[in-house]
Amino acid sequence: MTVSPDNAMTTTDGKAQDHIVKLEDIHLSFGQTQVLKGVNLTVNKGDAVSIIGPSGSGKSTLLRCINALAMPQRGRITVNGTRVDQLTKESERIELRKRVGIVFQQYNLFPHLTVLDNIVLPPTKILGVNRAAAEKLARELLDKVRLSDKANSYPGQLSGGQQQRVAIARALAMKPELVLFDEVTSALDPETVGEVLQVIRDLVRDGMTSILVTHEMRFAEEISDTVVFTENGLIVDHGSPEQIFHTSTNPRIRQFVGGLGARGTVRDGEGI
Amino acid sequence: MQDSSILNTFIAMMDRIGLNYEFLATGYEATIWRDGFITTLYLIALLIPVSLVAGLVFAACLTSGRPFLSAPVRGFVEITRNTPTLVQLMFSFLVLNTFVSNLVGGAQNNPLTPFFWVVAVVGLHIAALHAEAMRAGIEAVPSSMVEAARGMGFSQWQILRHVELPLAFRASLPAIVNNLINLVKLTTVGNAIAVSEITYASIMVWTQRDNVVSLMIVILVFFSAINIVVARLGIWVERKLAVPGYGL
Ligand SMILES: Nc1ncnc2c1ncn2[C@@H]1O[C@H](COP(=O)(O)OP(=O)(O)O)[C@@H](O)[C@H]1O
Ligand SMILES: [Mg+2]
Repeated sequence: MTVSPDNAMTTTDGKAQDHIVKLEDIHLSFGQTQVLKGVNLTVNKGDAVSIIGPSGSGKSTLLRCINALAMPQRGRITVNGTRVDQLTKESERIELRKRVGIVFQQYNLFPHLTVLDNIVLPPTKILGVNRAAAEKLARELLDKVRLSDKANSYPGQLSGGQQQRVAIARALAMKPELVLFDEVTSALDPETVGEVLQVIRDLVRDGMTSILVTHEMRFAEEISDTVVFTENGLIVDHGSPEQIFHTSTNPRIRQFVGGLGARGTVRDGEGI
Repeated sequence: MQDSSILNTFIAMMDRIGLNYEFLATGYEATIWRDGFITTLYLIALLIPVSLVAGLVFAACLTSGRPFLSAPVRGFVEITRNTPTLVQLMFSFLVLNTFVSNLVGGAQNNPLTPFFWVVAVVGLHIAALHAEAMRAGIEAVPSSMVEAARGMGFSQWQILRHVELPLAFRASLPAIVNNLINLVKLTTVGNAIAVSEITYASIMVWTQRDNVVSLMIVILVFFSAINIVVARLGIWVERKLAVPGYGL
């Protein structure tokens, strides 16, 4: 895992072939607002990378670039051999999105479908999987996120944490090559945060390549191979959790990490 | 005959309370009147699906984000919403129909009947109202939900079909039922271009028989009954589609 904040990618560990995501000099503006100002990021297969940084620093936009929900004006994005920045047709972007799962802060389950149908719909409609196979997978995934008993419930009948776990199962039903998590616990009641983090922890342990935007510092420290600190549309620093959370000399990072810790947003997966 | 004796008793009873249904015993006027009911029911049965399908297509165009689809539909919706249906019908029949006749070399070759024009004009008029209701419902679907669907790999059409329309239909159902109730009443404009629906047929009868009140009572009961059924069906569908834990 290598992250280079300022210039083109260099791999220090000689594992260039393991890159699953590579962003090079990404620039993106919405009108006059420059949101990404030259971001470089490399993620290796099987790694968990956490992106931390103040609100408005471009974290969500960065994630959205990776599955072509946002298109940069400049720079190269490669996802498992696909040049994302060169996908001009919507059909090509759809092909990419099938391979890259994304889970948002708002769970965005389809409220008119049962939990089971929420998970069955994407593979059947997007991938053309037959209903029986999709349902079998859906039940396995529900088991994995510990919600087997909720298969026939509607999203409106579930707590936030339960809905978010269904949303993760729904993303996994597409059998993605990597999953992007955008502040998936930020909208949750404190008591349900842990159960969602536990699901992500299991996924990472199983080797799913994951890129997470999160404010859960202790969680990020625990599961990440690399932590990335963003500010103002740039990756200011990157490194091991130890480097970012404990030995960084960058005053902004120390302030940010300390500030969040002091606010008590650190929660853990206990009590599940 | 058993049948005609019941009829005669009915006619006699009504006569006693001052209502005149004598024409029912005649062959010719009774047939006109009965066919009037059938034509109205036939119009309603055709117009409901026509208006719903066209409304769906209009709503899809309005929310497509593609000006070549949304602009013409928006124009049509504004015109049809803001002008009297009767005038639209007259215009269609007297101008468009004549134009078609000229195009195909004479009225005898024109396959378009007054009945067709009623279905087209009333159907598209109500479709415009459906479309506005559904458009509002589609736009009420949170953009974050649409983006999440896009992020999974759903196409724009699939999002409309599987996410936006099911939610929009639920949200707009009360408005759609209202439109359908209006549709039932609006079938009577057909009488302006001699489609022999029930009001046209009744006028034929009462100009001969001078029994306006007697026929009016039946017409009012007839339309009330149909619209009670439409409203009940609407409530039934609403209950059927209700989503537990969801505000619609
Ligand atoms: N679709 C958009 N149109 C205009 N501005 C946007 C849009 N999306 C994000 N922004 C702006 O880009 C900046 C970065 O947003 P975002 O990537 O959501 O940051 P973060 O996730 O780090 O809070 C913010 O100033 C935000 O207002
Ligand atoms: Mg964000």
